[in-house]
Amino acid sequence: MRKQHLDGILKSKIFWAIIAELAILIVCGILRPDFFRLKWIDQTGMWSGSLIDIINYSSEITIIAMGMSMVIALGGTDLSVGSLMAVSGAIALKLLRWDVVEFPTPGDFTVRPFALVILVPLVVCALMGAFNGTLISRFKMQPIIATLVLMVAGRGIAQITTNGKQFTTMFEPFRQIGLGGFIVPMPVIITIVVVTVMALFTRKTSFGMFVESVGINRNASRVSGLRSNRIIMIVYIITGFLAGISGLIYSSRISSCDSNNAGLNYEMDAILAVVIGGTSMTGGKFSLAGTVVGSLVIRTITTLVLFLGINPDAIMAIKAGIIAVVIVLQSEPVRRKMSELGKNRKQAIGGEARA
Amino acid sequence: MKKLLTIVLALMLVLGMTVNASALTVAFSQIGQESDWRTANTDDVCGAVEAEGWTLVYDDAQQKQENQVKALRNFISQGVDYILFTGVVSSGWDEVLKEVNEAEIPLILLDRIPDCADQIDYVAAFGGDFVEEGRRMAYWTANYVEKLGRSAEELNVVILEGTTGSDAAIGRAKGIAEVLEDYPNLKVVASQTGNFSRAEAQPVMESFLKSLDKIDVLLAHNDDMALGAIEIIKNAGLVPGKDIIIVGCDAPKTAFDAILAGEMNATIECTPLYSRFVVQTIKELEEGKEFDKTVIHPEEGCFDAEGGIVYSADGRVSEKAADVIADRKY
Repeated sequence: MRKQHLDGILKSKIFWAIIAELAILIVCGILRPDFFRLKWIDQTGMWSGSLIDIINYSSEITIIAMGMSMVIALGGTDLSVGSLMAVSGAIALKLLRWDVVEFPTPGDFTVRPFALVILVPLVVCALMGAFNGTLISRFKMQPIIATLVLMVAGRGIAQITTNGKQFTTMFEPFRQIGLGGFIVPMPVIITIVVVTVMALFTRKTSFGMFVESVGINRNASRVSGLRSNRIIMIVYIITGFLAGISGLIYSSRISSCDSNNAGLNYEMDAILAVVIGGTSMTGGKFSLAGTVVGSLVIRTITTLVLFLGINPDAIMAIKAGIIAVVIVLQSEPVRRKMSELGKNRKQAIGGEARA
Repeated sequence: MKKLLTIVLALMLVLGMTVNASALTVAFSQIGQESDWRTANTDDVCGAVEAEGWTLVYDDAQQKQENQVKALRNFISQGVDYILFTGVVSSGWDEVLKEVNEAEIPLILLDRIPDCADQIDYVAAFGGDFVEEGRRMAYWTANYVEKLGRSAEELNVVILEGTTGSDAAIGRAKGIAEVLEDYPNLKVVASQTGNFSRAEAQPVMESFLKSLDKIDVLLAHNDDMALGAIEIIKNAGLVPGKDIIIVGCDAPKTAFDAILAGEMNATIECTPLYSRFVVQTIKELEEGKEFDKTVIHPEEGCFDAEGGIVYSADGRVSEKAADVIADRKY
């Protein structure tokens, strides 16, 4: 019985994602002996250390990947999240800098109350998510095509919002979102809240199961009484909303909006995080915990590359190489081989329940 | 009645054409709006062309070369009088720029000079001297360190580079390296790309702070990266501008604010205000004056908190940021 349990662990994707993460961390630790050390900084009232940095800078990806996990579980993809981040940042900065006419300069904000600066971008992003959801559920468009619309149009909308300019803000409450913190940096706190809420929402209600059911077979789910369309709609709205949160964190970190670079290629990183976390692109089961690990793996690789002091020209190639190794490690044949080696005996080929 | 209307309309058409013929049409193919700098550059050039009463045909390429090629071909078919051109990348322009030559439209290169510049005809070229900007960053730093009385000390320098492969990043890196050779006390201990972006500079600065025992100087290839790094330095419990000397490049208003706040030490100017050159050049070309193919560089300064620090080999002295901030437009 225990052996079977061990076998299951050895064959699960999340186990190998954690192994990969630990391996990269250990390499970092060897390179920099003080890598795991945490230091208390009095001025900011926060802990500081490489581990916290990794979680801090992975937060944007982790947050959008929460939505992406469900989208992928539905058998879809959402390519528009990166552009929605740009939209969210652009709207927030537009509201903060209503005074800017020609040349952007730092100044005070003019739209009050401050809550609007946070709420309007989130609502707009949720509406854009609803737009994606409508195209996919009502008009039966392929998710990759439907979300491509906003992926392309989103940056244009962001550009129009700010009239093609980069606004800068010095408004302290807004800067707190990305730069502030309490014991740990604020983005880490926001991430923990988002992950907890999403985990409770999908696992403590039956919503997560509904999503998996629709992902496995949309029509069968509908026939057995699930409103597939409504579930698809809700998932895309949530994803849009989460992209909005990420966009606010991103633009707060830089106290500015950047319609061209904000969230650029983040949709790919988010998909990668979900895949490394063990959710299959064909839909069905999803694992939020796996996604969090996947997102950390991606960020840790970047940190490792920075620590190695690699020539900037080679960074992308090195990152791609490590990610390829992680994904191969997780592939079905390798995992099966590993678990056979681990048990050192021949075993019946079972595979996962839904492989 | 109908006849009268026709005559009036025909007259208006003829008059309209004569009015148009007297005004110049100036086309501007711009890269996009990737930064404050670029926005100021666009606003300045476009504003000046329109203020002269010339017709402006403006195209924003949104960072895509194919959009620029398309725009240039449109300019040719519209038969504009002048083309102002800034290329998003340095190569791949041979074909379309030759078409511009064949159409005999005078071409003025702005900011970024394409690789094929020696194979095509252009009437004038104007742009920043990136290598000199790099040299100035290093000179200012060396002289500032001397002023602080720390020139005997060994100081660790970190560099935030611009987008890998871009002209500005290559030029500035070269200039910095060239000058730092003469100052062995300034030792470059790390150099990594921050992609000219605030957001991307932050994790890089974070890793510098974690992986190096001591950082004394930060040279950032642009001010945006310096401003991003300042937030990180503050969060690490260090005092930017004091514990770490920070020098940036570009000199937008945001950098001046940081200098006045004492968080940044100096910025080397890389001006986006090309309007004076553009307007003057077109006027002189209209009068028949000819320029040679050398790239004309703008007059640029260096700004810091107190002024009076030599920042170039020919002995130019920095200005006090507080004195000029009121006049900064961007």
